[in-house]
Amino acid sequence: MNLTRLLLIAIFLLQPFLQPFFVEAKTIRIVTTTEDLAAIARDIGGERVSVDFIAKGVQDPHFIDAKPSYLLKLSRADLFVEIGLGLESGWVPTLLSGSRNGRIQPGSPGYVRAADGIALLEIPVGRVDRSAGDVHAEGNPHYWLDPANGKAIALSITEGLLRIDPEGKATYHQNLQRFTERLDAALLRWEAAMKALEGEKVVTYHNSWPYFLKRFGIKAVDYVEPKPGIPPASAHLKQLIERISAEGVKIIVAEPYFDQKVPNFLAEQSGARLVVLPPSVSTGAGIEDYFQLFDHLIELLTTAFKESGVQ
Amino acid sequence: MIAFLFWPLLACLILTGMHTYLGIHVIRRGVIFVDLALAQLAALGSTIALLFGYDLHDPATYFFSLGMTFVGAGFFAVSRQRHEVIPQEAIIGVTYAVSAAAALIALDQAPGGAEHIRSLLVGNILTVSSAEVIKTALLYLGVGLAHYLYRKPMIALSFDFEGAVSLAYRVRAWDFFFYVTFGLVVTSSVALGGVLLVFSYLIVPALLSLLFSEKILHRMAIGWGIGLLASLLGLYGSVLWDAPTGASIVCAFGFIFFLTIITQWLRKAALN
Repeated sequence: MNLTRLLLIAIFLLQPFLQPFFVEAKTIRIVTTTEDLAAIARDIGGERVSVDFIAKGVQDPHFIDAKPSYLLKLSRADLFVEIGLGLESGWVPTLLSGSRNGRIQPGSPGYVRAADGIALLEIPVGRVDRSAGDVHAEGNPHYWLDPANGKAIALSITEGLLRIDPEGKATYHQNLQRFTERLDAALLRWEAAMKALEGEKVVTYHNSWPYFLKRFGIKAVDYVEPKPGIPPASAHLKQLIERISAEGVKIIVAEPYFDQKVPNFLAEQSGARLVVLPPSVSTGAGIEDYFQLFDHLIELLTTAFKESGVQ
Repeated sequence: MIAFLFWPLLACLILTGMHTYLGIHVIRRGVIFVDLALAQLAALGSTIALLFGYDLHDPATYFFSLGMTFVGAGFFAVSRQRHEVIPQEAIIGVTYAVSAAAALIALDQAPGGAEHIRSLLVGNILTVSSAEVIKTALLYLGVGLAHYLYRKPMIALSFDFEGAVSLAYRVRAWDFFFYVTFGLVVTSSVALGGVLLVFSYLIVPALLSLLFSEKILHRMAIGWGIGLLASLLGLYGSVLWDAPTGASIVCAFGFIFFLTIITQWLRKAALN
């Protein structure tokens, strides 16, 4: 075997290791934990940024297993955005320290915790311990599901971008303003569409919908999980079935990544309707941005309620 | 990318070094699943600590899990009989199943630790910290040294049980020593890389080395070679296909294992 051939083989074998050295043109690289944050970051950053995310919209953001590409993305990131409040606490800290990227560690200019500036719900009172299940000590972390909170998230991301790329100030401010106006207009449309559902009651699988439901005046009377993160036992299910008929609950809401067996059983036994609602933007499943997410959610929910006889 | 793989690779090398040696013992003693049982007992210990209201990162929790491992070690030392009616592997299997079930019940009483207990058993070799690797290396060095100092009773007990008894070694005490050190190693290895990975490092190199040599030192050298090869292959595959790292290494072990065994069969068939 001659030397050139050996060299070619060596380059071929090392190719995955060399990739980071072939860097594309100078753009600000944003990496977010979820697709919702990525969608908003794309709207704010526009042409100046490239946006990547770690958890796909169809994955449960509580549980993500580390892969080499995640470390690679994070090592090259200029800005890192996470939901915070413990949602990603199972995997973000080890990935961040594993990336050895000083620019995006908590406290650095390139680190953004999107929860800042949001009026949080369900901040526990008194001592928090394990007996209550996987309760998030700083408040419920599913705040992106209230579309009005999109504005605060966009503001946090804008501030992060201004810290690391002050030259883009005009662009970022303009994009933020356009995003906010668009969201305000859409909010009016969504609230009008959901008007008929005000005061309705639902049962949700995990306690991930309080922000969404509060925005549209719907009440979650109970959860399929007796405590967050704990699968239901038969006594709880029996109680739930009674409660659903007693309170006139028409809809059971579950995320696509939970096992549908239990909510299906509940729906059959109680006569309520099961609606599977995606809680996140998911480019793989056709929900391309933050606006489409709520268009989609509201369409699914209003249709389901209509079929249950609510006009 | 190479920079990320430095600590994971080092962790793999440490696992290879320690587990090839322990694997030779474990296979000879016929207690292949003892690592799963001890790891599960350690997880049960942490769960019980949760029940008592300790946090998972509390030092007290570590001692609970160590305590359970020692109880298991004592039990396995006692359960080894000269003329056994019940195979020890069966006792180990029962211990595994019962401690896993007991942990489930304990978790139901003190819920919320589920993801932490899961991480205790799954581990993540890709994101190991330098501190973890160094701590584990020191511990293994200590255990390795202890086994080297007491190599005579250790080897006699695994390879020549009748001889050890007739030489008047205190069999139970040395067995207890073996399982305690083994439990110490497995508990921290599992936290590093997870149950599947630790099992592969323990069994595959030691087993394959049997095909090539009978001598312990030769087998260790061969086993280390196999472990190194599987680690490199697994890490490479994990980067190439962007697959979870621990699982990639386990599959690399599987690839080497089956390839070697099938080659051996074919060679034998050709000879006949």
